[in-house]
Amino acid sequence: MPTNQFLEYASVIKTLEVAPHTFLTEFSSPKISAAVKPGQFVMLSFPGSLDPLLPRAFSVCEVKGDGVVLFYVAVGKGTRLLSKLRNGEEVILNGPLGRGFPELARGEKVWLAVGGSGAAVLPIVITSAIDSGAFPEAFYGARTMKQLMHFDNIQIEFATDDGSAGFHGTVVELLKLKMKKDRPDKIFACGPSPMLASVQREFGEKVRTYISVETPMACGMGLCQGCPVRKKDGTGYYLACKDGPVFDTNEIEVATGAI
Amino acid sequence: MKTHLKIGIGKLELKNPLMTASGTSGYGDELGNYFDVAALGAVVSKSLTLKPKIGNEPPRVTEVACGMLNSIGLANIGVERFISEKLPKLRKSGATIIANIAAKRAEDYLSLAEMLSDEEDVQGLEINLSCPNVKEGGIEFGSDPKMLGTITRLVRNVFPKTLLVKLTPNVTRISELARAAEGEGADAVTVANTYVGMAIDIYKRAPKIHTVTGGLSGPAIKPLTMAKVYEVTKSVDIPIVASGGIFTWQDVIEYLIAGASAVELGTVLFAKPNVPEELLSGIESYVSSSKLEHISDLIGSLNTGVEKVSAH
Ligand SMILES: Cc1cc2nc3c(=O)[nH]c(=O)nc-3n(C[C@H](O)[C@H](O)[C@H](O)COP(=O)(O)OP(=O)(O)OC[C@H]3O[C@@H](n4cnc5c(N)ncnc54)[C@H](O)[C@@H]3O)c2cc1C
Ligand SMILES: Cc1cc2nc3c(=O)[nH]c(=O)nc-3n(C[C@H](O)[C@H](O)[C@H](O)COP(=O)(O)O)c2cc1C
Ligand code: FES
Repeated sequence: MPTNQFLEYASVIKTLEVAPHTFLTEFSSPKISAAVKPGQFVMLSFPGSLDPLLPRAFSVCEVKGDGVVLFYVAVGKGTRLLSKLRNGEEVILNGPLGRGFPELARGEKVWLAVGGSGAAVLPIVITSAIDSGAFPEAFYGARTMKQLMHFDNIQIEFATDDGSAGFHGTVVELLKLKMKKDRPDKIFACGPSPMLASVQREFGEKVRTYISVETPMACGMGLCQGCPVRKKDGTGYYLACKDGPVFDTNEIEVATGAI
Repeated sequence: MKTHLKIGIGKLELKNPLMTASGTSGYGDELGNYFDVAALGAVVSKSLTLKPKIGNEPPRVTEVACGMLNSIGLANIGVERFISEKLPKLRKSGATIIANIAAKRAEDYLSLAEMLSDEEDVQGLEINLSCPNVKEGGIEFGSDPKMLGTITRLVRNVFPKTLLVKLTPNVTRISELARAAEGEGADAVTVANTYVGMAIDIYKRAPKIHTVTGGLSGPAIKPLTMAKVYEVTKSVDIPIVASGGIFTWQDVIEYLIAGASAVELGTVLFAKPNVPEELLSGIESYVSSSKLEHISDLIGSLNTGVEKVSAH
């Protein structure tokens, strides 16, 4: 059997509430932690549960030894349940899944822009960029300071809509300002659809830009055809789970009718 | 191989009663990442159409209590690419392959059946009749016994291998459909496809899937489909393949007792793609601990004799 995808019963090591309704949960997951690349995701389900029924998609936030850390916002049934699991309780993790961000070459300059639950990819992208000798810079936007969080040992420039922390404005406006003086080799972005659409519009033609999209998913592994992302050339759809979730902005049309 | 789990469906002898359901297992290749697909009774392909189909606009899936709604719009790579790209991979995996076909015109069903009948690796066909018939004012082929009979006959004439007709549950009497399929030479009927369902986002006052209504699957539909299987057992003699909400090995046994000869696993694969392994071992222990000689002893073994109920 060909395989670098695994189904693991993973137990909770610990959960931290890092901002309102926002959590970091670390799982023991030896196989997935060894295989995952930045921007790839896992499908998480609750053993024996019929409601929630389907697995939920989460980007891997960080690898810690034999463990993976997920960063999530409790928005519904599944994420609330997840945040309440006790240490030692098990979930089923399926992964690593999908195509992550492209590998970076030594010396390449990359800007990473994140917002909302998209901040999940920040640690893994920055750490691996540094490991490969690239020069990453991280930009993180939110409505207000309370929603932002810091990650250990990672330097981040913040942007808030209300000016309560960092740059006063959106993360895209912050990047536009930086672009007046400087230019990266690549831009990576992960966040809500309106943010991705504006990243695509502002930078897609100027810099090689990659965005990680979110669509509803039932399986995460190409079984159901449930996760279409419109191709830019109008010839149909990619599957977010297999062809993405990371796409070159020239490949796709970002749906702005956000969920 | 465990001979006491073998099941005959038409000319096919399945290793065991577990099959995958169309549209929930891709073309069988992804599942190979998680378990040996040759261990299944059969793998059923996504519905194949004559030309590739890009499918419906998103959102295509949403979760509801103990189930999900889907409206994929039969997105598939088309029969030609299935034959040239997917069949060779499936052959290598050693799987028993059943191709599922769908069309909007009767003559397209015929062409599909002819093309697939020439393929040695395709051991069976399952006809999906859930498309609207463009020539008959858009009524679903599968909801009218006459149209269903016509398609079954056309396909039967050119496809000598095992032929399954997949029935829709969205009718008053599913047994009439089953009888029409049997009458035109189907080897088995699959009971059943998904139920028409709907869910609304109350904040946007918008449907949760693009096509407004979609197909309901998952544990929510199991009791409904159980009753359909039971209804069909009473009207036809050909084997029944049950499809609807199977999540545990107990669900499989329940369907066999109701009268099914085999089952298809659908939505369950999304959370646990390797679930067939777990179900097989559960079924085996049940069969051996119940001292059954063969799993087929269970089929239709429902005891409906009304027990004396003591008056309170
Ligand atoms: C590839 C990918 C990676 C993701 N990574 C992360 C992550 O790292 N951290 C994180 O917090 N979230 C992430 N998400 C979103 C996450 O999957 C959803 O928030 C989660 O499924 C919600 O489940 P729930 O049961 O809590 O909510 P539900 O009760 O199912 O839904 C609550 C709300 O969330 C919306 N929703 C449901 N599923 C999705 C979805 N897949 N995408 C967007 N909105 C959805 C619903 O429309 C509803 O408004 C990711 C999604 C994808 C597709
Ligand atoms: C996402 C999805 C796609 C499906 N696509 C097809 C299809 O292409 N052809 C078909 O005959 N049935 C299709 N079905 C129906 C399933 O094969 C199955 O009959 C149904 O889901 C009930 O079983 P379940 O509750 O175990 O999922 C699909 C179901 C789902 C959930
Ligand atoms: S989520 Fe099932 S194919 Fe992408």
